[in-house]
Amino acid sequence: MTSDSIKNNNRNKNNSKNTTKWFSNITLLRESQIMKIHYITAVGALFVVAIHIMMRLIMPFNMSLEFENVILNYKNVFYALLLESILILIAIHGFNGLRVILLEIRQTQIWERAVNILVIVAMIGIIAYGTRTIIIANGFSLG
Amino acid sequence: MTSAKSAKRIDDINNKNDRTNREGLRGWLNPILYGWERVSYWFQRLTGIFLLVYFIGHVYETSSLVSGPDAWAAMLEMTQTIGGHIFLILVIGASTLHTVNGIRLIFTQSGQGLGKPGRPDYPYDPTSVNNKQRSGLWIAFILAAVAMLYGANVLFSGE
Repeated sequence: MTSDSIKNNNRNKNNSKNTTKWFSNITLLRESQIMKIHYITAVGALFVVAIHIMMRLIMPFNMSLEFENVILNYKNVFYALLLESILILIAIHGFNGLRVILLEIRQTQIWERAVNILVIVAMIGIIAYGTRTIIIANGFSLG
Repeated sequence: MTSAKSAKRIDDINNKNDRTNREGLRGWLNPILYGWERVSYWFQRLTGIFLLVYFIGHVYETSSLVSGPDAWAAMLEMTQTIGGHIFLILVIGASTLHTVNGIRLIFTQSGQGLGKPGRPDYPYDPTSVNNKQRSGLWIAFILAAVAMLYGANVLFSGE
């Protein structure tokens, strides 16, 4: 075995130690990549949530929450897309944050696998449920 | 330290049954002896969990829109109480604190504001625990308080 192949083997071993195996033998993303996604979704969410809050403050707060006003917001395609992006960004950021906390508490293979599957299912569930609201409200008839 | 005492200490360290360094959640929640950095760590996680719970509740709450005006009004009534307002003020404070402290952590993780590494000399003050880090934390607390006051003003005045 040449020194280069030994180096490559060692590099591969190190790589496999630093990766997250979400399902039995499938390696999806490294922890460093997941943390980059965590930070990117945080910064993205900061901007879209700021717009979402400002939309509530462009008129008196109580009035902005009236059914007709809220439905009008949802009927605006750009605002509906903004809500969808908030939903996706916060679901990814929030459930990955929960995953990080749960993996800090305990580190066994079964626990890590269970936590990974749980957060992915919860993330998909909340995105699907929120998207359903956006789609139905977007096509909701006022009269 | 006498030799008998140091021998006992070494025995304690070697005896695995006496090692109580696996504190689990208690260790996670204990802010004593670790300074403001541990308080920051603690707040970042607690506010994160709180905001995730709020996010799930908010998605559920807004889903009442699809059931018509009456369902929306009934759901909204729950938040139009003093308790509901206080809860929303806490959400505003938690989100501001989590955001500002999170920005500090992004910079920290990319190596900004940690100081230059140096030889560990007495009294062993780590360069990473410095005024830049602490001021970031205090700014997060101050902005959270300001946001909560503004939120309280909007919610209780209804404007």
